[in-house]
Amino acid sequence: MLPNMYHSTQAVSQKLSCVHISAWRKLTEKKGTSFFFFKRGDTSSKGKTTHHNLSYSREVRRLQILTVDQGNFFRVLVKTQGSNSSNCGRRKLRSMAAWDLSVTVEDLGPDAPPVTISVASDLHIGGVIVKLVEKTQIKRDWSDHALWWEQKQHWLLRTAWTLEKYGIHADARLLFIPQHKPLKLGLPNGKTLMLKACFSNPVFQTVMGICRMLNIRHPEELSLLRPVEEKKKKKDKDMAEEIYDLTEVPLSMVSRPCLYNGMPAHFADSEQMEAVYKMLSITQPPPAPEVITKQYRPASVVDKAHINGRWLDSSRCLKQQGIQENDRLWLRFKFYSFYDIDPKYDVVRLAQLYEQARWAILLEDIDCTEEEMMLFGALQYHINKVSLSEPRMLTSNTALDDLESALQSLEVKMEGESSSASDLLENMTAPELNDYLKIFRPKRLTLKGYKQYWFKFQDTSISYFKSKEESIGEPIQQINLKGCEVAPDVNVAAQKFLIRLLIPAPEGMNEVYLRCENEQQYAQWMAGCRLASKGKSLADSSFQSEIQSIRSFLAMQKTNSGSSNNAASNDESINTHSLVSPRYHKKYKPKQLTPRILDAYQNVAQLSLTDALMRFLQIWQALPDFGLSYVVVRFKGSRKDEVLGIAPNRLIRIDLGVGDVVKTWRYNNMKQWNVNWDIKQVAIEFEGNVNIAFGCITADCKIVHEFIGGYIFMSTRSREKSETLNEELFHKLTGGHEAL
Amino acid sequence: MDDIDAMFSDLLGEMDLLTQSLGQETVPPKPLPSAEQEINLSIGFNDLNASLNELEDNDLDALMADLVADLNATEEKLAAEIQGLDVPPSSSSDQPPPPKGLSFQPASSITSSSTSPGNNNTSSSVTTPSSSNTSPLPPPPPQSAKPTMEEIEAQMKADKIKLALEKLKEAKVKKLVVKVLMNDGSSKTLMVDERQTVREVLDNLFEKTHCDGNVDWSLCETNHELQLERTFEDHENLVEPLLAWTRDSENKVLFQERKDKFEVFKNPQNFYLWKKDKKTLKDMKDKDKELLVQENFCGSSIIVPDLEGVLFLKEDGKKSWKQRLFQLRASGIYYVPKGKTKSSRDLVCYVQFDNVNVYYGKDVKNRYKAPTDFCFVLKHPQIQKESQYIKYLCCDDAWTMNLWVTGIRIAKYGASLYENFKTAERKAAVSSAIWTNRSTPSSSGPSTPTPTIKAKAPTQANGHAPKPQAGPPHLDTDNLPPPPPPLNEILPPPPPDPVLPPPPPSLTSKPSPHQQRSNNFPPPPPSMDSLPPPPPPPPMDNSEDPPDFLPPPPPPTSYSSMPPPPPPSHPASFGGNATRSLPHPSPEPEFLPPPPPDPVVLAPGAPPPPPPPPPPPVATPRAAAQPRKMPPAPPKRTTPTLTGGGGGGGGGGDFMSELMSAMKKRTDN
Repeated sequence: MLPNMYHSTQAVSQKLSCVHISAWRKLTEKKGTSFFFFKRGDTSSKGKTTHHNLSYSREVRRLQILTVDQGNFFRVLVKTQGSNSSNCGRRKLRSMAAWDLSVTVEDLGPDAPPVTISVASDLHIGGVIVKLVEKTQIKRDWSDHALWWEQKQHWLLRTAWTLEKYGIHADARLLFIPQHKPLKLGLPNGKTLMLKACFSNPVFQTVMGICRMLNIRHPEELSLLRPVEEKKKKKDKDMAEEIYDLTEVPLSMVSRPCLYNGMPAHFADSEQMEAVYKMLSITQPPPAPEVITKQYRPASVVDKAHINGRWLDSSRCLKQQGIQENDRLWLRFKFYSFYDIDPKYDVVRLAQLYEQARWAILLEDIDCTEEEMMLFGALQYHINKVSLSEPRMLTSNTALDDLESALQSLEVKMEGESSSASDLLENMTAPELNDYLKIFRPKRLTLKGYKQYWFKFQDTSISYFKSKEESIGEPIQQINLKGCEVAPDVNVAAQKFLIRLLIPAPEGMNEVYLRCENEQQYAQWMAGCRLASKGKSLADSSFQSEIQSIRSFLAMQKTNSGSSNNAASNDESINTHSLVSPRYHKKYKPKQLTPRILDAYQNVAQLSLTDALMRFLQIWQALPDFGLSYVVVRFKGSRKDEVLGIAPNRLIRIDLGVGDVVKTWRYNNMKQWNVNWDIKQVAIEFEGNVNIAFGCITADCKIVHEFIGGYIFMSTRSREKSETLNEELFHKLTGGHEAL
Repeated sequence: MDDIDAMFSDLLGEMDLLTQSLGQETVPPKPLPSAEQEINLSIGFNDLNASLNELEDNDLDALMADLVADLNATEEKLAAEIQGLDVPPSSSSDQPPPPKGLSFQPASSITSSSTSPGNNNTSSSVTTPSSSNTSPLPPPPPQSAKPTMEEIEAQMKADKIKLALEKLKEAKVKKLVVKVLMNDGSSKTLMVDERQTVREVLDNLFEKTHCDGNVDWSLCETNHELQLERTFEDHENLVEPLLAWTRDSENKVLFQERKDKFEVFKNPQNFYLWKKDKKTLKDMKDKDKELLVQENFCGSSIIVPDLEGVLFLKEDGKKSWKQRLFQLRASGIYYVPKGKTKSSRDLVCYVQFDNVNVYYGKDVKNRYKAPTDFCFVLKHPQIQKESQYIKYLCCDDAWTMNLWVTGIRIAKYGASLYENFKTAERKAAVSSAIWTNRSTPSSSGPSTPTPTIKAKAPTQANGHAPKPQAGPPHLDTDNLPPPPPPLNEILPPPPPDPVLPPPPPSLTSKPSPHQQRSNNFPPPPPSMDSLPPPPPPPPMDNSEDPPDFLPPPPPPTSYSSMPPPPPPSHPASFGGNATRSLPHPSPEPEFLPPPPPDPVVLAPGAPPPPPPPPPPPVATPRAAAQPRKMPPAPPKRTTPTLTGGGGGGGGGGDFMSELMSAMKKRTDN
């Protein structure tokens, strides 16, 4: 209601406890943050009021800041329109007169003339709508419709308010339109979803509604982003893009959180809906390398900063921000502070979070080292593999089924236990591998090369003998592989299958090469070495799966080298370029990447799907640059552009010339921050009399304000035990003048 | 042979009864395993004999005590398992432990180290790796039986098999005798089992040394050959790194207070905000510190301090040192190659942490011509000698080195580190509570002042006793998961002289009646499991200076497989007024679970509820160590022994001796 105002918010994040609101209020009042000098007509009155009071004085139409004091004093010109509530006599007079109000009803078609109704100024909005509906003579559910005031760009949602109170006159252009309209939503996984979103509530609530429909908890971490314009060259291709449709979901259904068949009830209606849920909850296969290269990649911090200028304002509605029906928006995690991830309830959230992280890495949105990239690649490979092999049970989760399957699994478990017991007994005579292999020990300085021996793999050790016949006696040598490093040296085309072992000994590491004859042999012995290096014996349950994964990596190498195209290997194999960022496409051929990813893979091969997802996210979160949202700013007193990085717990200042972090400020040292909306400047005060101020260049200062307030809000969550989202607090911290 | 088979099948039947309350299946004897076992036994016997002979007397005694505690624990566990059964635990034994501990080594699997290096040398406290087994193998469980359809039976069967398997596993557990060097130059010898974590060993040491148990106490490893040193992390298993030592190494295990161990949790700002100026860091409020810890250790991923700086690097196998800009990341240490930028993508990985440990290097200036003496080292734990695979990095000052070492530990161990700290804090709170309690006058006077009261113990006790923490710590303890320290106190059986049968004179003389059995002791392995242990502590008590060798720590076994000890009752008993006024009532709640009521030794027909032990004789080792304050603990400790002894007298005795003589016969033949 107050378009221009110097808003001040107190943030003492440290003191943000459960009593946060009251503390905030108190501070505001105590400091008398807002003194207003009101001017109405000729009579000027001096009023002292808090933000709150102001927001209720709806008569105030326009405020204009006349002077802005350094601190907290404002001089405001207030222009009122229409009558004042205190002006009872005049209002009564007016109310007598009836006048014509014309309203465009969207449902009548684009060319239909506006509907004109006769109203009086004291008619409330509800009455207007009733009259309107009567006039159209269409019988349907109008409950989602509301009036939109075109000139003022806002909704008339308070049906009890009179036209007079809203200040509506005959010249007002009003639209009668539904509040929920279809929207194309780009998801973190790259898919597009069509759903009905609320255009009338603040975006924060719109996102809440979307997340409720998609079954994503903690919607406060997400927001909507204007998409990056795609180059229109390849428009033909984009036309083919599949759009998942959720517009048919009745809005009333969504509010019920009950699960049916393991998914929200509205997804269980039809097969299409189930398909949508699958798309949401199951991670996507690795994208083709061309898809990655084709996508926009930020090349510098400044590029990364530009994306943050696209966030929608959480405290205003979609319609106010110029979003039209069927427009395209991206749904993304905005605040990198993921609270209470529980794989049991967060299936969709986890999948989408993973997708966002994956793309951030593939598109080099966040920097990592080569080793880290290989590990990310290995995890992606593993996640894809496991999600194919263990699709989450979607169909058999009703209560009855639950019981039954629980009983069944109990049985299986018991059988399994006893069988594993007998397995364990057999462990006393553990499985072993026996074969002729060739060995080479570079350390010995022999140039003889590989010598063939009879090898025996038992427990975690390898022993070798002159020949099979002599294998009963003492081995020539026994090598314990526990704690050793295992590396592959394989070239399928050249039929080279080497296992390189670095075996720790008191004197250092001994290097040993084992040469296998063929794939089969290699896969077995390699798997054995891998397990043994981790202290696991061949009897370990993962032995077979380890063999499998080694073989599938071998298959990858085969297909990548282009020698074979058989269908069998196709579903197993992935182009390794799909797993790493384009930088490594240039640096390595797929063939070269395979062993490196396989190398990293051995550390994650045992993980379950959920664990692998979590591990991926953990490594992502452990990257030094994680969680930074950049904005190009200009600090007060500085002449050059610099970059402000906003992290979940701190702000950093980055010098563009050097690319270095110059300064770090932590939120919990922050005393207060202020935004001057006129000159678009954010001023922050930290403990110890540290004051900084900067103007925002690549993003509106509202976006910066919202980031800072939002992170402070996120940090209050852990202390409040209540499950319900404290929306009011969020708006207080992020809303600026809008919230008041 | 037939005899033995028959005996075994009987025994198995018995075990069956013990392990499943409704056992209906008849058990086919399994002769083979027993035979195998015997072969193993004899091997183990010889080797151990040799190795143990080299031990000092003191060490031997301590070792004995440990072993006995082991047995007790096993027995107690079993007792708990079979609680509620009518079958009285059969027992072989109240024979005293034979002097050399031989009979306790029915080793079936011998670890690599069967000879003990020169640890007769008193000056150097060398760890003696030796190997032994906990309870000997029970023969593989009788599996067969008629297949039953009912679930319960299946369940029972599964349980049974599981139990048997557990025992089999236990039998394979490696153990080491470790000599730990104290700050004052003295040493303690204790038995450490493969599964025991450093934390558990520390707890044992707290017990033995009566130190205040604050969080800084650590076990450190020094490598003499390489002049390296590191603090073991509390969650590590102690045995594994020690096994990597070479046989003739002069490496040591130290027990000392290390400030740097948990410094990062006490002053996180020094590590996470090290770039800020010193003054603001110093003035950091506790609340801010807490927030920092929360932020970095309690999130969904552990955050590694943002470390970057120029370090000197000793190139592989070369003698020169080069300067490079290094960066610490969660995934490893990286450096910026020449002519490249600091951006992540250009970084070159120097080392990842999966296979290396971080050590402090000593005397590097002299040894390697290092630019400074502040050097940390990364190497595979198994490397014990000079090698090109050892990585040396040199810092400008001690503080930088500390930053890096701590940072690397965070990257390597992650959440475990914080867990360790929290556990250590809880332990410290508990032990300080105990000390506080102990400082309150207690009824029983120290009747037997022992000749050697260690200077250290009393002072520490005094130093920490007055801490007025009694209140809060108690609250603390109430919430605790079973606190091991009190548990310890239950287990180590101190000598309840008056109650027990004639305490066998220690090392030298064996009472003849027992002798035969003690010789035979090893063969009947099952007995150990199913039986209450012999009451061997007496010899220990008689033979050595109590303060030096306090009741042995319980074997770790007890932690893992013990039925839930009665944790809540501990704090209660410690804090409760009962403890203060009369020491003995406290055992009552404590021992309800484990030992079956024992009618034999106790006063006629003593029912379970009344406190089993008569107010125990005061002359316990602990009392000796702490003459002034009679802690509530000792009486408790007597109990298991009593019951154990009682078990010894129990019904199984005859059976066991029969078995043993049969075995004897067989071996003789």
